[in-house]
Amino acid sequence: MNDSVALVITLLGLTAIKATPLIYAALGGVIAERAGVINIGLEGMLIAGAFAAVAISYITSNLALATLAGVLAGALCGALLGFAATRWRADQIVAGTGLNLLAQGAAAFALVIVFNQPGASKEVTGFNSLGAWGPDVLVALALVLPFAVHALLYGTVWGLRLRACGENPAAAESAGVDPLRTRMWAVTISGALAGLGGAYLSIGELTLYSDGMIAGRGFIALAAVIFGRWTPLGAFGACLFFGIFSALQFTLQRAGIPSQLMQALPYLAALVAIAGVVGRARAPQADGIPYSRAN
Amino acid sequence: MRDRAFVLMRGPAGAILIALALGSIAMWIAGSDPFEGFSSLLYGALGSPTGIAETLVQTTALLFPALAVTIAFRAGLFNIGAEGQLIIGGLACGAIGAVFSAPAIVAIPILLAAGAAGGAAWGAIAGWLRARFGASEVISTIMLNILAGLLAQYLLTSILRSGGGSGNETGPLPSEAWLPVLLPDSRLTIAILIAAALALALRWMLARTVFGFELRAAGEAPQVARRSGVALERMSIQVMALSGACAGIGGATIVMGVLHRFNVALSPGYGFIAIAVALVGNLDPLYVIVASFGFGILQSGALSMQSVAHVPKDVIAAVEGILVFILAAQRYVLSKAKA
Repeated sequence: MNDSVALVITLLGLTAIKATPLIYAALGGVIAERAGVINIGLEGMLIAGAFAAVAISYITSNLALATLAGVLAGALCGALLGFAATRWRADQIVAGTGLNLLAQGAAAFALVIVFNQPGASKEVTGFNSLGAWGPDVLVALALVLPFAVHALLYGTVWGLRLRACGENPAAAESAGVDPLRTRMWAVTISGALAGLGGAYLSIGELTLYSDGMIAGRGFIALAAVIFGRWTPLGAFGACLFFGIFSALQFTLQRAGIPSQLMQALPYLAALVAIAGVVGRARAPQADGIPYSRAN
Repeated sequence: MRDRAFVLMRGPAGAILIALALGSIAMWIAGSDPFEGFSSLLYGALGSPTGIAETLVQTTALLFPALAVTIAFRAGLFNIGAEGQLIIGGLACGAIGAVFSAPAIVAIPILLAAGAAGGAAWGAIAGWLRARFGASEVISTIMLNILAGLLAQYLLTSILRSGGGSGNETGPLPSEAWLPVLLPDSRLTIAILIAAALALALRWMLARTVFGFELRAAGEAPQVARRSGVALERMSIQVMALSGACAGIGGATIVMGVLHRFNVALSPGYGFIAIAVALVGNLDPLYVIVASFGFGILQSGALSMQSVAHVPKDVIAAVEGILVFILAAQRYVLSKAKA
């Protein structure tokens, strides 16, 4: 009896760990898309955050600085995408795809510059140096943050304005909100959150960066945003759901279920969600459409 | 438009210059001479017959998915899924090719058709989801890219498991199924001729046929097209299938001409770079050939740049990313995609 309780607790813990980077990135995705900017660049932002955190931890051995660097690197990517999406009225999908290519190439390039070796960084100071519970700080934050973002989006004027920019930016502007500025900030915050998710992966769950370590988590987070119907709590639930299968992967594999099927689950769930088979998943009305002021 | 930076960046030439300038700065930060870096890249890509052959191999590998992206764009559809369609096309070709034996004159067309069919089927899923449920092809093709890789891995570790293989590839193709080589001792095959012929055929189709006219109408003025009798739903399925077929043949030519078997890692992201190629080529199949050659130089010269000038080759991926990013700012494509 005690054994099965212990097993359940272990599995819940593992689920939370697997879901953590997804939660940060997916919350970032929700904030950007509710403001009207499609964030295909989440993968690149996770890469930037993961690499920057490891590089700064290597140079300074200071976890706070390293985490901050991850957040800032993600925010910088977000600001780039935000700038392109607002000031240049760029195609957000093409820009996001470019950002992913750029982050992946730049991280692989910088890896050689900083660590003088291709493929993977050296081992650096990670959250595990604080004690076995060290990484749990970021896990706990990830479990609380969705409720905070929910309160922000639905309980504050700022959140109302942000959502207005994603639904009807022209109406928002006539009510005195600046849609371009709001979108710029939203995508920057989106990047900061994804950067934190990347930092958790590289110096929380692990203690190094290697090429390809993000392994599509940005796209799983994007799937979670859609499956969670563009709401913070929905996306949170989707991340936990995907996390469970990730945690159970080895157990289910031994039961004869192919691992690829479990890995495919988030993407299949997203396809089902956009096809509207289980209720209609509707993107914000003005999501992905550049806004230009009617001067 | 008032923005001076924006004006400067208009046109693919401006975008290429900015991307190369930023790449040079990165090389300089890395402690390398950018001039030496780019000259060793050009020398590696164009300075010898083998270099040129490899550049043309990369050109071919990029041209097929770039045509896929181009044809979808012209219909107002954003196919991010060329990567997945290329993988499924290659998988279909490799799976059949490994167990199928016939004279070259029969085997080669059949295996190319298998690649086209595989890619077309994978593309048509996204077209159908859009036609039937109004699901954005952007999201569905992103998801289908990853699902393509997972499906290939699953099949390779189960029913396609080759004798003693690592589970990453199919068994080898018989030599009858190999594409004829154009230049001895190189990987350059008739695939490049097939790709060029496909580009010209697509250009002709867009300009001269009723289907091409309706396709462009669906992209440029969907409401007008609908009112003049174009069934947009059927069009989106047909176009995504055609687009997927282009990428799928590309996968098949890599299998039949370069690797002589299917491997899950057959593409280092050709389907994503293809988006940049298509935009640089101004979405005109003829110019896309030229753009593919330009990107082929980058792809094939990157390694010699790394070994001669000691610039990590990944800087090229970063340059390509910057290029896509700037091109995104120059062109607002999605407005056309909203039906």
